[in-house]
Amino acid sequence: MSYLIGLMLIVIAFLWQVTLEGFQRKVTAKVQRRVGPRWYQTFMDIFKAFSKSSISHGFIYDFGAMMTLGGTMATVVFLPFSGIVAFNGLDNFFVIIYLLAVGSLGMAMSAVGSGNPWASIGVMRALTQMVGYEVPFMIVVFGMIFGYGTSSISALVEVQAGGFLNWHLLRMPLGAIVGFISLMGMLAKKPYDTPIAPAEIASGPLVEYGGKHLGMLMLQHEFAVFIEVGLFVNLFLGGGGIVAYLIKYAAVYLFATIISAVLGRFKIEQVVYHFYKVPLALSLIQAAVVIFTGLGVEIWL
Amino acid sequence: MAKDLKLYLGPNHPGMHGNFSVHMYVEGDKILRTRPLPGMLHRGFEKLMERRLWMNNLALIPRICVPEPDINEMVYAMGVEALAKVEIPERAHWIRMLILELARIANHLMSLGGIGGPTGLYTGPNWAIADRDLILDIFEAISGARVYHMYIVPGGVRKDLPEGIEEKISGFLDYLEGRMPEYEDLILNNPMIIKRTKDEIMLPEEVVWELGVTGIGMRSATGKPYDIRKIDPYARYDQIEFQVPTATYSDAYTRLTLKYKEIIQSVRIIRQVLEKMPQGDVRTNVSRGSALRWRIPAGQVYSHIECTRGEYGYYIVSDGSDQPYRVAVRGASYPQGLLGVEKYLPGHRIEDAAIWMDTMGVCAPEIDR
Repeated sequence: MSYLIGLMLIVIAFLWQVTLEGFQRKVTAKVQRRVGPRWYQTFMDIFKAFSKSSISHGFIYDFGAMMTLGGTMATVVFLPFSGIVAFNGLDNFFVIIYLLAVGSLGMAMSAVGSGNPWASIGVMRALTQMVGYEVPFMIVVFGMIFGYGTSSISALVEVQAGGFLNWHLLRMPLGAIVGFISLMGMLAKKPYDTPIAPAEIASGPLVEYGGKHLGMLMLQHEFAVFIEVGLFVNLFLGGGGIVAYLIKYAAVYLFATIISAVLGRFKIEQVVYHFYKVPLALSLIQAAVVIFTGLGVEIWL
Repeated sequence: MAKDLKLYLGPNHPGMHGNFSVHMYVEGDKILRTRPLPGMLHRGFEKLMERRLWMNNLALIPRICVPEPDINEMVYAMGVEALAKVEIPERAHWIRMLILELARIANHLMSLGGIGGPTGLYTGPNWAIADRDLILDIFEAISGARVYHMYIVPGGVRKDLPEGIEEKISGFLDYLEGRMPEYEDLILNNPMIIKRTKDEIMLPEEVVWELGVTGIGMRSATGKPYDIRKIDPYARYDQIEFQVPTATYSDAYTRLTLKYKEIIQSVRIIRQVLEKMPQGDVRTNVSRGSALRWRIPAGQVYSHIECTRGEYGYYIVSDGSDQPYRVAVRGASYPQGLLGVEKYLPGHRIEDAAIWMDTMGVCAPEIDR
């Protein structure tokens, strides 16, 4: 049964996120005074990429592409989706973070295996950026885990039940801000799209990909977005029923998109300075509040 | 020798404008040496012109600068008229100014919005290209073509303006003036653009004198209003009031700001042109007979005008036959695009290379003609 639920989660993630991606492209197009593609364009892009033949650059290149897709799909299975958990007791924050890293490392391996120097630079930037956003994000989540004494995401969702006043968005406002900034970094939305900057490093890790390999990476990207936005919705917006979850998800993702449409991008060292300046300070304050005052519900309301 | 890595910026790279390649030797993110490689699109314009009739060349020369083709027609027409010693009708001068200023706005819009390419603000280019398209609509109504107009010909302009174009142009200018504050908010006041361009990619005054940079690069670095429209007025620029924006500190942001200010000045010029334009003929013959039999008297002339990137000139030599003896093009982006890339791009970082090319105003075909 668990496997079936896991499979179902993967299908839901694919259908929902790819549809929303098409909608997101429409929104960006509206900001940019264009018409934009049809909502199902991303489906067509992915299917087209998978229907083409592609060139391999060696074993590491192929293996890395499969590893990144497989690792990310595996992560989807462990993320609670509006209370649906495939493997009870394994919906743990650390499980998700570590499995997500498998995807990133697969991407890094594959891109470096392609042999293109632009790809190596892109991977280096992606890993540098990861170091940037993960530190403040982890501090916030560790504060949360410390406060409740559990790292199960379902449990963290349950404590937010009973109205929006219980959401961590309001209980831990600084943490939510840090979480959203880190989310933008994870999604590689502008201003944090430094690792895939087309005009600087020719799209970085993606530069050598085509055909099925590119299709795998596009699919991986969609699953990764599903996990990252889903993590934010679960941790800070209280999860919710299927409809509520999807509405919150769409709101967060489109908000990130609109911010992204009117900003340029940082240089890589600016990204790290940026994350280690304001978000890190905010996350430390938030952690201190959580540690010294319990979860600080009364303080904030 | 440090261990360095060779990277190719172009010809097939999203950060490169046109068919131009720069080989960058980098250590980490820092560029150690660069080697500009023109020749990717060498079509031998200068040589081809020697094998074509004076009139045939008109179809060739707009290709020398793709984003702003009209300057080529103008500078060629001025040269031929100077050699043939003909005076063109008064109205033709004013129509030429109209075309040139519209082209200037179109090009500045593209490069102002185009800063969004290297900095990731893709809303900028999308807006700018949409607004530039309205100018192309006007060009289409005037000349029948959108990009390569071949409208300014030796002896005047090809045909008179169509009816009602003045209203269309003023309508566009009103629209553009309403849009300019939005561009200012989106691009010039954008914190990310400021972060990426302010105090970055400097162009010191010594470099300007050393390389011979003209146009916005020179005006932003030296504070001197060196603009051919002012110092050697062609057409009827001497009867028009406009300012040449300058600055004394040339970073990428200042150069962007100057582009913005120049658009506003061009709008001002076009309004005056529409108001003062006389009626009358628009074309006279530069030589006897049909255009395919033109013979231009022997002699040589250097004609120059102000394009968006600086001084743009043709040195034309005629031996009295029906073809030019030699035409040499002074591309405005030659100094910074070839010599500047080799000497002053090193020391910057990889991510600044595309902004460097963009804000210095490098148009590859001018180098590679």
